[in-house]
Amino acid sequence: MTDIRLFGYSDPLAAKAGEPVDFMISAEGTAEASIDIVRIVHGDYNPDGPGFIEEVIDTDLPSTLAVRRQYTQNGSYARVTDDKQLLANEGSFTVHAFIWPSRPGGTRQTIMGNWSVNDSKGYALGINPEGKLEFWVGDGEMVDQVTSDAPLIPKVWLLVAASFNHQTGEARLRQISVQNSWNSAIGPVAPIDHNSHVVETLRCAPRFADKDFLIAGANERNPERGDYVSMLYNGKLDRMGVVGRALSAQEIADLAVAVNSATTATPVAAPTNSIAYWDTTAGFTDTGIGNRIIDTGPHGLYAEGVNRPVRAMTGCNWRGRDDSFRLNPAQYGGISFHEDSLTDCGWTPLLSWTPSPSLKSGVYALRVTAGAKTDRIPVIVRPQTPRAKIAVQMSTFTYLAYANEHLSFDAQIAQAIVAHTPVISADDIEYNKLQEFGLSTYDHHSDGAGVCYSSWKRPIINIRPGYRMAGMTFPWALPADLSLLWWLEHAGFDYDLITDHDVHAEGAAALSPYKTVLNVTHPEYYSEQMLDATEQYLTTGGRMMYLGGNGYYWVTSTVADDPACIEVRKLDVGSRAWQAEPGEGYLASTGERSGLWRSRGRAPQKLVGLGFTAEGMDRSEPFERMPDSFHKRVAWIFEGIGDEELIGDFGLALGGAAGVELDRYDLALGTPPHTLLLAASCGHTDNYPLVSEEISYAFPGRGGSQDPQVRGDMIYFNTQANGAVFAAGSIAWSQALPCKGGDNNVATIMRNLLNAFIKDDPLPGSSYTGEEKAWR
Amino acid sequence: MTNRTFYKVGRRPWEVKGHPDGLQERKRTRVPFTRRHWLKWRDSHNPKNLQRERVLADKKPLWWAIALSLLVIVTPFLPNSMISTASIFCIYAAINVLWTLIVGTAGIFSLATLAVVGVAGYSAAAANVYLGVPWPFMLLIGPLVGFIAGAVLAAPSTRLDGLYYALLTMGVAEICRVFVVQLRALTTTNGAITQVDSFIPEAWFLQRPGLLLGFAGAFCLLLGALLVWRLVNSERLGLLLRASRGSREDESFCEAVGIDFRRARLQVFVISSAALGVVGAFYAMYYRSISPNIFSLDQLLLLFAMMVIGGLGRAEGAVLGAAIVTLIDKGMIELGPLRIILVAAIMLIVTIFAREGLTGARDQFRDFRKRKAGERRAHRTEKGGEAMPEEAVDVRDKQELYYRRFNKRLRDRLKPMITPELIAEHKADPLGHHSDALARVLNYFRRAEMVDKYVIMRLKDGEEAYRIMAVSGVRGMPPRVVDDKEYQALNDAYHAVFLLRVNDLLES
Repeated sequence: MTDIRLFGYSDPLAAKAGEPVDFMISAEGTAEASIDIVRIVHGDYNPDGPGFIEEVIDTDLPSTLAVRRQYTQNGSYARVTDDKQLLANEGSFTVHAFIWPSRPGGTRQTIMGNWSVNDSKGYALGINPEGKLEFWVGDGEMVDQVTSDAPLIPKVWLLVAASFNHQTGEARLRQISVQNSWNSAIGPVAPIDHNSHVVETLRCAPRFADKDFLIAGANERNPERGDYVSMLYNGKLDRMGVVGRALSAQEIADLAVAVNSATTATPVAAPTNSIAYWDTTAGFTDTGIGNRIIDTGPHGLYAEGVNRPVRAMTGCNWRGRDDSFRLNPAQYGGISFHEDSLTDCGWTPLLSWTPSPSLKSGVYALRVTAGAKTDRIPVIVRPQTPRAKIAVQMSTFTYLAYANEHLSFDAQIAQAIVAHTPVISADDIEYNKLQEFGLSTYDHHSDGAGVCYSSWKRPIINIRPGYRMAGMTFPWALPADLSLLWWLEHAGFDYDLITDHDVHAEGAAALSPYKTVLNVTHPEYYSEQMLDATEQYLTTGGRMMYLGGNGYYWVTSTVADDPACIEVRKLDVGSRAWQAEPGEGYLASTGERSGLWRSRGRAPQKLVGLGFTAEGMDRSEPFERMPDSFHKRVAWIFEGIGDEELIGDFGLALGGAAGVELDRYDLALGTPPHTLLLAASCGHTDNYPLVSEEISYAFPGRGGSQDPQVRGDMIYFNTQANGAVFAAGSIAWSQALPCKGGDNNVATIMRNLLNAFIKDDPLPGSSYTGEEKAWR
Repeated sequence: MTNRTFYKVGRRPWEVKGHPDGLQERKRTRVPFTRRHWLKWRDSHNPKNLQRERVLADKKPLWWAIALSLLVIVTPFLPNSMISTASIFCIYAAINVLWTLIVGTAGIFSLATLAVVGVAGYSAAAANVYLGVPWPFMLLIGPLVGFIAGAVLAAPSTRLDGLYYALLTMGVAEICRVFVVQLRALTTTNGAITQVDSFIPEAWFLQRPGLLLGFAGAFCLLLGALLVWRLVNSERLGLLLRASRGSREDESFCEAVGIDFRRARLQVFVISSAALGVVGAFYAMYYRSISPNIFSLDQLLLLFAMMVIGGLGRAEGAVLGAAIVTLIDKGMIELGPLRIILVAAIMLIVTIFAREGLTGARDQFRDFRKRKAGERRAHRTEKGGEAMPEEAVDVRDKQELYYRRFNKRLRDRLKPMITPELIAEHKADPLGHHSDALARVLNYFRRAEMVDKYVIMRLKDGEEAYRIMAVSGVRGMPPRVVDDKEYQALNDAYHAVFLLRVNDLLES
């Protein structure tokens, strides 16, 4: 293995021609790398297809670039802006917070303080490696601490407070249980005494190290790396503050009582002499809450979240009746911190590239080469103004949701789901070993909580062209979607690329310039704006080609102030990698209930006629024509296809056009009643079980060989103003296109459709609306 | 079912435990001038009933306090001869504790311990007798000489290793003895200096009050030695040295991270030698004389016997060993030469049966009990089979116990399904429509836990070359290579994994 390491990402992931794209690169083992821009034509090494194809683009970029190591701050925490150093606290003071530690013990964690690891100065309230609450102070010469008696039990709410009397050196550390029947992982019937109250005289007093006050972290410095934050906290925090005097034992106990009577109208009042009181319940609106933790104390020392601490979580006083912060913000003071969160690497851009307005819309990549190591940092280029009649909507939300998934290494059940042994690569091992570039919404944080944020501001291995997802053994998402782009180009159809983010931001305006819009293999993550845009497009004559599986599935949104970052919460039903804790199913970014769109009255069937029904990754099957396909309304789609010809008994995704994830026609779920069922796949293995949202009673035989609902459907229906939807509900569909040199029966159907869809004329077959007098 | 015996498990607690109330304020006090607490109390939740319990995590201070106060309380009531035995015990224990610092903490195998005591004692006594220095100053001269002697002896310890250094130090002791014996000025007293002034008034010498005063001094000496031990062994120096102890690799590691363990060793040696100097001065005062006997080999070997019997490298070992040997050597004088045989016999028995002397016996017994329990367990349970009650107490998530039962029975049902036909079916199409039997076997394999689960590695992008690996199941820990076989087709690799898993199943 080579000693050179290259990692990078582009910001934005998708850009309009004429607008600059920044590339952040980190390199080890080399100070220089050669660079060029390539257009990715095809991204699958599979020998049944055209293989990996890229072409170098002429740019005015230099051919080499000076590169260096860039460091990544992992973990979420909040930094307090305190220009006047009000929190230096060289006198008497008290720190207090409500905590729900999820992983006490093992390593030292900081709840809050201005502790400087290198200087051994400052103070902090935290959890020691033994898993006990500790308050420590340091003056640069000496460190002293007071430790709580009671071991912390994971995921139980407590009030913790430490007061320090500067005159006597006396430190008081209290931990008081605020556990109720609803808010903690275990209930009051487990006879555990969570309380502790220790008083000790410390031998030194904190000296200020001129370092920031941090929530859920401590200041550390490394000569190579510079300042960073370490000793990160795992778990939830709720209302916390700093008081400029030593609170008495009773005053501390009162804090635990006050929080139970908090309401939105009368929030908890900060104790007198407070320097700061971070009321985590302040700032909620109907559309969510941002990164800033508001200080309702006298000085407004707000704290700014880094790497997105998760907000809108149930707080220390949650009582189960209100399952959303929109109903009762006063019970939603919880903020989750994780040592392995990452939403922004924050690297310095080393290069900026502005795609020329004349550049063809497509998937490009900055190719960085040093020694034997090559990395391709992809960027999707959208034209300055719409040019083609066809738009392909690249599913950037999905790309982010799956970014750097660890399933093959972490998820016990993954091999049973995909029904084969994963095939990993050296890059997979490298990424997994580093654990530096964050997790996907399919992974869990180290304390077992699901990951709800994912962003493009980090190197993402599985959007690299040519990358095959380990669990699947074939390309997934972006690398797989390149098969559709290759075929469009091969078949001579001009197209523009747009992205989920464009549709999310611009609505129907992003779609309306195009005669037809194509979905890619897996448009799984959708926002309300995207659904609305698609719906509006279809009701105003738009023609959608839904060419994927398991689309329009999860309620997703971008974060209000950062389009690079998406948020999703997985709950209740659906093929979910994790399950949100009770009461934590609403997006902090928008205030809407997350989970499946179908649970909120917007099943995908209502838009494109199909919705998720089964998944499996052992083999794909072909589609077979259904009787409807011989109706003159749609027979034109099958021109050149035999009556009983198997459609797509080949493909780069497991050897068939119907497979991986499959969608089904279902009138009960809202498929338009005039929809024609053109074709369906048959004979799936039992490794394609019916999805959980379809199962009300569990009984045996819900696999492909016994359950008729396990199939992929191909449908067609007309909409207003000459609009139409063609849908082939299978992820493997597009990956069948490049087979046999790009000329095959899947391609024939696509050609027939596209030739009709890009014309202004009414659609062929649309006049056959009379009653059929079928007396033959 | 087999006719297995299920023994009942469970025990009443014997230890006295506190049941603190977390809402009560608890004031903790510390040893003055330190950040240490007097006693190491630890709270935990008893996993049996979730009750909060407070126990003394380190009971050594308790045992020390009991033993030392017993000594102080009992000694005044003993006959005269026993009082002097107790005093001698204190002196030897002090020497032993300091020697333990040199041998155990610093890891320098020096046999010049008594030589340092002797040299310092002689110097202090000479200063008192010939130069007329008042006796309290002897307690300054002693450590000063000890310090110098230690510094001189320390120098070669970095050059010579183990046995050679031990021989060298023994030589030094012998030279001291010969030198003193041949001193013309001391020929009349056979090399001894007598008439040394002392903290015990002359009139009280060998009288009961004198003996009691002597004991009080010796006891303080022992406390002082234990304090030195504590300060050196448990503070910074001891911690530095503990990192380097063990093996050459540890030493290299220490060097790499910048711990100067050689310097720390020398410091411990010199500090201990200075302290031994105090003992030397005290020795001369206690006996009001000092003789070349202190340099003799038999004294050294007696000291060595104490260390071996008590246990090398621990203060409590040094003290216990001193107690046993002094009791036999000085307390059973009437036994005559037989008592030396007795000491030798005890030493032999201890070295044969105890790993680390008498004070290590407790740990040794615990290890023995643990090993026996392990053996019993291995004997009573089958690999991968059901857990017995005594194993179940160690499993936190009781569902695991059920999984073990279920998986055992599942495997028993699957094993007969493994036939040549089944293997042929998989080989023909690892991802096909499978028979019910094959589907069941495969599903069992795929649901296995993550630790050491097989995966396939593609050696190079775009190329058909595969190898089999097994993932760690630990985040960030890379997978291991299972074997060096390479497969040119993915289906071959799938099948190879299948065969490995079949093998694992049949072996279980």
